[in-house]
This record gives sequence, C-alpha cells and structure tokens, in this order.
Amino acid sequence: MKLSRHTKVAAAVAGAASIALLATACSSGGSESGSDGDITLTVTTFGTMGLDDLYAQYEADHPGITIKPTNIDTGGNALTDWQTKQAAGSGLPDVQAVEEGWLSKVMQVSDSFTDLNEYGGAENSADQVSWKNEQATDADGRLIGYGTDIGPEGLCYNGALFEAAGLPSDRESVAALFGGDDATWEKFFEVGKQYTDKTGKAFYDQSGFVWNSMVNQLPEGYYTSDGELNVEGNSELEARWALLAQGAADGLSANQTQWDWGGGKAFIDGSFATFVCPGWMLGNVKGNVEAAGGDATSGWDFADVFPGGAANWGGTFLTVPTTSKHPKEAAELAAFLTSTESQVAAFQAAGAFPSTTTAQADPGVTGESELTEFFNDAPVGQILGSRAEGVVAQYKGPDDSVIQEQVFGPSVQELDSGKADGPTAWDHAIDLLNQLVAQ
Amino acid sequence: MTSTLTPPAESAPAAPAPAGKPSKDRSEFRRKLSRFDLKASPYFYVAPFFILFGLVGLFPLVYTFVVSLNDWNLLTGPGEWVGLDNFAAELTDPLFWNSLFNTFSIFLLSAIPQLIAAVVIAAVLDQNIRAKTFWRLSVILPYIVTPVAVTLIFSNIFGEQYGLVNNILTTIGLDPVMWKTETLPSHIAIAIMVNWRWTGYNALILLAAMQAVPKDIHESAALDGAGAVRRFFSITIPSIRPTMIFVIITATIGGLQIFTEPKLFNAASSIPGGPQRQYQTTVLYIWDLAFNRQEFGKASAVAWILFLIVVAFGLLNFWLSRRIASGENRAISKRRAKRLARYRTEQELELDRLSAIPGAPARTGASVPLERDADLTPEERDA
Repeated sequence: MKLSRHTKVAAAVAGAASIALLATACSSGGSESGSDGDITLTVTTFGTMGLDDLYAQYEADHPGITIKPTNIDTGGNALTDWQTKQAAGSGLPDVQAVEEGWLSKVMQVSDSFTDLNEYGGAENSADQVSWKNEQATDADGRLIGYGTDIGPEGLCYNGALFEAAGLPSDRESVAALFGGDDATWEKFFEVGKQYTDKTGKAFYDQSGFVWNSMVNQLPEGYYTSDGELNVEGNSELEARWALLAQGAADGLSANQTQWDWGGGKAFIDGSFATFVCPGWMLGNVKGNVEAAGGDATSGWDFADVFPGGAANWGGTFLTVPTTSKHPKEAAELAAFLTSTESQVAAFQAAGAFPSTTTAQADPGVTGESELTEFFNDAPVGQILGSRAEGVVAQYKGPDDSVIQEQVFGPSVQELDSGKADGPTAWDHAIDLLNQLVAQ
Repeated sequence: MTSTLTPPAESAPAAPAPAGKPSKDRSEFRRKLSRFDLKASPYFYVAPFFILFGLVGLFPLVYTFVVSLNDWNLLTGPGEWVGLDNFAAELTDPLFWNSLFNTFSIFLLSAIPQLIAAVVIAAVLDQNIRAKTFWRLSVILPYIVTPVAVTLIFSNIFGEQYGLVNNILTTIGLDPVMWKTETLPSHIAIAIMVNWRWTGYNALILLAAMQAVPKDIHESAALDGAGAVRRFFSITIPSIRPTMIFVIITATIGGLQIFTEPKLFNAASSIPGGPQRQYQTTVLYIWDLAFNRQEFGKASAVAWILFLIVVAFGLLNFWLSRRIASGENRAISKRRAKRLARYRTEQELELDRLSAIPGAPARTGASVPLERDADLTPEERDA
C-alpha cells in the first residue's frame, strides 16, 4: 500500500471531516447567544398566524434580540414536530405555538413548559377570556401559555338554499329559527329534517364536525372533571349520539370527506346548507368556495347562534419550553405577541379571532373586512365576540384526542355512509375504546 | 504491501548522526509506526462507513429493540420494563393483523400486475424500435415525480363524490365505487398508484438484463423454427431469472414498507389509513401507534416484527438465488461432463482406428498426439 504524502493527508482530512460532520449534525437547534450579548429567540408556529410583521416590530423595539421564526404548514405536522422534539428532549424552540387540540397531550408533560406566572403571567393574561386561561393552566395551577386566538363556533348557512327551501334567510330570523340563545340540537335536527324533506338534499356536510361540537361544548366530555374516563354509560353522550344517528339516517348528512369537500365544490353545488363554523373556519369556507370558482354570491352567511349553547373549537397558545436558555426574554416575546395590539394586527393579517376581550372589542376586529364582505356583510367580528361568551373550559384527559379521532371517528363515518345504525355504531366505538385506551 | 516498510536500521544510510542513540530510537519508532500503519490503516479507511452505519443503522435498530421492551410513552418517556409483553400484545391485536393483511393485499395487488407489465414493456423496448431513448425515458418518467405529488393527484382522481373515475363511471351508467372507504377498492387504488410509479423503473432494469441475453441464441432458436413467443418464454425469461429475483425482492421490501401512498390517500382522515383502517398498512400502523396513540414501546415492537418479516424475505431471496446459481452450475458441469465423455469416446475410436493401421505407433498411450503436452510427465514428453 504505497501512498503518496498527498493521499495520506487527503485521507486524514476526509476522515476528520466525516467525524466533524457527524458531530455538527447533532448540535443544531435551540437558542444561541451572539458574541456581544445578543440574544436569538427561536419561534415555531404553524398555519397562518399573522405574526410576521410583529417579529420585525419587536426586533426594532428591542435591540439585541433577534427572532428566528419557523412556520410549519399545518397544525398536524406541527404536532408531529413538537412531539418528536419533546420525546427527544432537544430541539424545541424558545417560543412554541400549541394548538387547543393538543392540550390533552401537552398537559401530560406540562412541567416541561415554563410557568409564565414567574414572568408576570397573571398580569399579561388579564385581558384573555377567562376560559382560555383555564385551558392553559395545569393541574398544579401553573400557567403554561398565553392565548393568541380562539375558535368560538357560530353557524354558517347558505341563505340562497334556505330561501329555496322556504326557510327564513336573514341572519336574525335564522338565529331565531334555531332557538336564539336557547338553541338546542333537537331544534337543529328538526329544522334539518324539514329542509331535507322539502329539498331532498343534505343539511350539513358530514357528522364529524357536528359530533366534535356536541361533545366539546359539554361541561364534561369524554372525561369527568376529576379525570375519570366517562364514555361507557354516559347518558348525555348517548342521547346526543342518538340525535346524530337519526339525523344521518334521515339523510341530513352529505357524507362529504372532511377537509376535502371535493376541492370546495360541495360548498357551491348545494350539497349542504349549514356548516359548523369556528372563527378560523370562516376563512376556510371562503377559501373553499373560491377554490371551486365561487364568490360572495354563493349565498353563505354567518348567524349568531349555535345549537346546544356556546362552543369553542381550536385556538392557539404560545408557550415557553423549559429547555429555553432565555425563558425571561422568551416569555416577554410571547406576552408581546399575544397582547391586544398584536392580536388585532394578527386578526387583520390572518383572520385569527382574538382571545383577549379588549382586542375583541377593537374596531379593527369588529369592523368590516374581506370576510364580512364574503359573508353577506355579516358583522363577523361582533358575532364571534358574542359566540365566545359562556364557553366552558372542558377537562381534556390524556387520551382525549385518541377517543375523538380513533374511537368515534370510525363510528361517525359508519353513520354517514349508512354502514351501521346508531346503537351498532356506538357499540363499535365502545369496542374500540376498550381496545385502544387503557382503562 | 511491504514497500512502506522502512529499511532495517543497520542498512540505513549512515547519515550524520552526532548522537547515535536518538537516531536509533527514531528509526525504531518509525518502524513501529509503519508497522502500525500497515496493520491498522485499512481499518481506518473503512471506518467512516462503519461509524456512519453504526450511528444511523445499528444504533437505532438496537435502541428500537430496547424501547420495545418498555411501556414507553412518546411524551412522558420510558415507563415500566415489560419484557416481551409489547410483542405479545401486538401479535394478538386485531389492528396489527389488519395492517399486515392490508400490507400484503396491497403488495400482491401491486407487485404481480407490476412485474407482468414490466416484463412486457421491457420485451417491447428490447425490440428494434425507432426512437429508443424516447421510449425508455418515457417509462422512467413517473419514477421521477415525487410520491407525494403522485398521491395527491391520484387521491383527487379517486375522490368518491367528485373524483374523475367515479364521474366517468356514473356517466356510463355504473355505480360509483367507494375508493376511500371500502377495503378492496382502496387497495386497488393504492396499488395503481404504486404501479404507476414503479412499473417503468422495473421495466428498465429488466430491459438491461434482456439486452445482455446473447443474440446468437435467439438467432439459432429462430433458425430451429421457434417463434417469438416461444423464444421469449424459453430463452429470454430463463436468462433474466437472477434479475427477476432481484426485482421481486426489492419490490417486496418496498411493498412491505409502503407508507406515503396510504398516508396521503386521504390526508385529512382522523385515522391514518381510512376511516375503519381499510388501508392502514403496517408502517402506517407504526406511525399511528407512536404519534397518535403515544404507544412508543408498542410501535417499536411492531417495527421489529416488520423488520423480522423483511429479513425473512431477504433470506428467501438468498436461498432462491443460491438455488438458481447452483442449478446453473450443475447444468454447466453436466454439460461439460457429457462433452468430455463424447470427446473421450471419439479419441478412443480414433486410436483404435490408428492402431489398426500397420506401422502406426502401438497403442501405448505414451505418445498420443492429441493429448496436450502439459498433461504429460517429463519422461513421456522425452519419449
């Protein structure tokens, strides 16, 4: 093996380089301190949260702080990202956005999030709607996140289709039709049956969203407030399930694929006339209608009513993982990004409905926007503010999302596709519950 | 290999050496160094691969096994040591067997038509056609498209209420097919995606093998009156058998690990792999266990079971290819033995004929002219 000096050097360099590559591959992520005391804060968000301009503003106001934002396309992918890093114990950012649907998972490891009360949490979150703070408080009373937005649910309906079916179509009459402040699911399905009998068309897109709302608006859902699993023999849930099953059997569900809706086509071809609408969903409705080639004339409107009382679906918190090297600065940034001014700006940029009452009352939120224009000039901001009143922060057990998606998901689809009737589908759900969730 | 050895110290040039001892020490050191270089260097040169393999291959494999022995929650971390309980639990879990059934069903639905189509396409491309490069590039084109894009497009085409396929079916008066909520249709739809992507790739590999089949065999078979179909089955197929085995095994390993297509076929489904897990494959089941149900230990156990299944297929491959190879050797040696025997008989006959001629050398075998010199002893050669 005769090697020239050159070759030996090259081999040594190559060997060293490969080792160095391995070493550096594992050392990225986390926050870094600059040379002259500058602080870099990493922020991970998802979807469209409308925070980009706020980062620039914060950097300008706070010399020495650099923000390195990462935005992940969807909440689902962001959940996978967070879970992976949480499980690995490294790579988490200084400020992590957490979605309401993850709370059952987040609260299992709530001690890996900084207690914001150590950094003025009570004061910074004073303007938040109270149930938002309750959601972000763990069993030990630690506040682990500031709310950025909430998802109070109203009812989207198609005025043109209502009119064609001989139903009232203006916002106030529709709200009254479903019972106004005392709207019940019984009334909702009753109106739906009238509509379906008259037109032969479905009333809502699919049963999944309806079931979500039915469960999430209860004071206690799949778990009791003290953390006991409470599905089997839960008469409240069974009664609501029976309503849902009857509705599907009567043809009220269009059995659409959720989050697909035929690329939005189902929103403009009259497949269904009502739709469960949390604040952030309004943008989705608009996007779907436009994707299918429709516009404001497609007839969609937004009523200040929701069956079964106030309900919330979704909304996000900004948290500070304990792995952050600058928890104080990170908590300050999170407080800034969730302040009233920031929430108004985020609403205007991305349509996320504010979680602070002060921002909800701000003219920038209650006034006109592209959304009000699309929804037949409905005062969207005002309606959502009114829908946010009376929401309860339901206790989410560790397997809440598993029960929602994996236990009831298949059964809801069985109802919609007519594969099983109500009691059979319920039994299937209980079977799955016993199989998937450790009692 | 010995050229890097320094010459022995005695024969080293008597260079100006004020103090003899350090020089001797140094050369001793250099000798040791060069011996070390000789013995150890090769290992250092191959080390980067093995370090990388150890880090990204072996370590995860072993660690996954360790995880599978624990009641390990993805978020809260390791719980109790449960031994092989996770394996036992999964081997009795209907959802695991469901995923295995789906995996094999999709695999068979994709691999069999895919290989038949690939062989036919390769055979056509092997003909003397115009614009060869164009056709060959065309069949590989689907392979270049990322599987995510393929799946999004096919997912749209197979939409139940607004998809292209069901639109066509209803237009011609047939019932729409529930591509995303019924078992067999969903498997067929996913198999079509897989086939669309992989058929051309396999066709090109088989084409390369076909082109290595000697043309003269084909020609002589054609002269003997074998038609194109007969030649294809009796010459082409047997000749590309080793390549076929390779293609089958890679298709199997790929098929057992199918993930992207079922994952994105109905991307928004709350359960990955269909509302009632109609097309939840085993890898998707692993993902579901780990990231939706936080059962990291059980997910690792299933990952190991799948690994063992793939290894079993690998061993099957090994056994099959060995059988084929030794079968070929046997065939060759048999042929050679036969030829040798025939040759010997001819020789005998020739010698007999020669010895019958008067004056010819007696049949001693000592000077058989047909034998090669190398086979003769020196005495014999001298004679």
